[in-house]
Amino acid sequence: MEWLSDFVGPETARGIGQFIGINIAFVVVLMIVAYTVLAERRVLGFIQGRLGPNRVGPGGILQPFADLLKFIFKEEITPSAATRFVYFLAPIIAITASLLPIIVYPFGPTVSIPFVGEVALVIARFDVALLYVLGISSVGVYGIALAGWASNSKYSLMGGLRASAQMISYELSLGLSLVGVVLMSGTLDLYSIVEQQSGWYGMRWNLFRPDGFPQVIGFITFLISAIAETNRIPFDLPEAETELVAGFHTEYSALKFALFFMAEYVNMFTVSMLATTLFLGGWNGPFVEQLPWLGPFYFLGKIFFFLFLYIWLRGTLPRFRFDQLMNFGWKFLLPVAIINVIITATVMFFLLQ
Amino acid sequence: MNLGAAEPLKESLRRLSFAVTSSMPWTIILFVLFGALAIGCALAVVVQRNPLYSAISLIGVFISLACLYVMLSAPFIAAVQIVVYAGAIMVLVVFVIMLLNVEEEVRRPVRLRYLLPIGIGLATILIAETAFMLAVRGGAGAADVVGPPPSDVGSTASVGTGLFTEYLLPFEVTSILILMALVGAITLARRTTSDAAQGGAAYGGTPEYAPVPEMPRSRGMVQPGFTEATGQAHAKLEIASEENGTSARRSDESDEGRARR
Repeated sequence: MEWLSDFVGPETARGIGQFIGINIAFVVVLMIVAYTVLAERRVLGFIQGRLGPNRVGPGGILQPFADLLKFIFKEEITPSAATRFVYFLAPIIAITASLLPIIVYPFGPTVSIPFVGEVALVIARFDVALLYVLGISSVGVYGIALAGWASNSKYSLMGGLRASAQMISYELSLGLSLVGVVLMSGTLDLYSIVEQQSGWYGMRWNLFRPDGFPQVIGFITFLISAIAETNRIPFDLPEAETELVAGFHTEYSALKFALFFMAEYVNMFTVSMLATTLFLGGWNGPFVEQLPWLGPFYFLGKIFFFLFLYIWLRGTLPRFRFDQLMNFGWKFLLPVAIINVIITATVMFFLLQ
Repeated sequence: MNLGAAEPLKESLRRLSFAVTSSMPWTIILFVLFGALAIGCALAVVVQRNPLYSAISLIGVFISLACLYVMLSAPFIAAVQIVVYAGAIMVLVVFVIMLLNVEEEVRRPVRLRYLLPIGIGLATILIAETAFMLAVRGGAGAADVVGPPPSDVGSTASVGTGLFTEYLLPFEVTSILILMALVGAITLARRTTSDAAQGGAAYGGTPEYAPVPEMPRSRGMVQPGFTEATGQAHAKLEIASEENGTSARRSDESDEGRARR
């Protein structure tokens, strides 16, 4: 880093470093996402007593690339009644909003990298990282809503309407279930939130931290509303196959459909990162103080646990009805999240005295 | 000796790139970029005739304003701007536009004839005020816009401290105001229900929300052991009993049942 800042000044050197870091993170995340799709198909196959895709490469390991090639070579169809500009804009918004939050998550402790020096494994660290994540993910609704509107098809419109209603409803519980963690940490900076959870041989996670109120309720409400936010089964009403053909992306084909598809899985990934960072201690784990390079592996391992949970739920649960979805979100999940906030605030008030 | 020749070259290259990049006015470039984006999107909000396009442009305005807030080192305000305006309010607006399927507005030249001069006049006053302020403040204008402010005004901690100490009363009063608006909206929305319950569909009361007379659970369910013949007999029995039951119930019911039918 020093030789680079000799050349271009410290500010620009930092900018170049971040640019490279962002690109590496995007590529890595997209690769993981591609293999999440494969894992989902194999695990679902296992759950349903069949094999799943295992023909391309040994054990189906090259299946994602075959899928990608197929997406690229499919015919691009634009419905003649579609609102063209918005129709093209929607998948772009969806994938951008799902990729942007990746850069704020710390994925490891400070490590020493040869030729670069001591580096904290986080791409961008700032004061309001948590709010940034929430803001960007709330902008992601537009991708789905506009796709439904612009396709000019009744199934798409129904899917888009359902998606926006669902995401507005569950965003509240999602935000409120995070407030407990914020109250305990006293900051919105994700890096400090993770650092505060180190100790106890790396097991002092917010999920069962004794100083303050263990965030078990917050964790469960977060998990449920996160599944609803990512439109996954059992909350996949916006794309319910049996009712709406394919919901908001009925009229999309080829790469535009692929963008929606990737956005959904990247969203799963980022939500898993958020859950890991806030409740399961991020990169913290046993022996991470002695071997800092274990950090990224713990981080990825916890994320994979959540991704597996998503797939497991998909193979297990049936879909909600829409009125059940709304009743559950507003009449059960939201009050429980508020109660968690009140209890945590009371406990923290007496602890801080 | 090769190294000896390369060393001054490398040094001069270093000096050159250092000079170029460190003299680059990044903040001004970004300010112009996001400012132009904000103005362009704001113009599009007014000019577009399709309401959904206007809504999308308004989202663009909010996002570019958030970027400007970040550059003024007020990240908290920027994040709140995106969460509240772009994320919550505009989603509702887009939702309503999609739900009601609002058509493109027809141009109304009569109103525009009065509004156009007024708008131009107001814009002139605004620009004149801004120019006056910049002139009075002296040459501080352009440099101050992009420079960092002296304190941590925009950070989360200072905003929170301000809200809960110095500005506690206005904060609480505002929250009560918002609560009142919420209660008012719910009261207005529920009015149809009470109308229907009172029996007058004065507001075109939606019958779906009127209380539904209770039905026995087992009715209409196919019970095991039914053949087609017994099923038909049962259905006839059902119809007969329903007519009796409803006529009996209708007599002691208030107007609400009749309003439904």
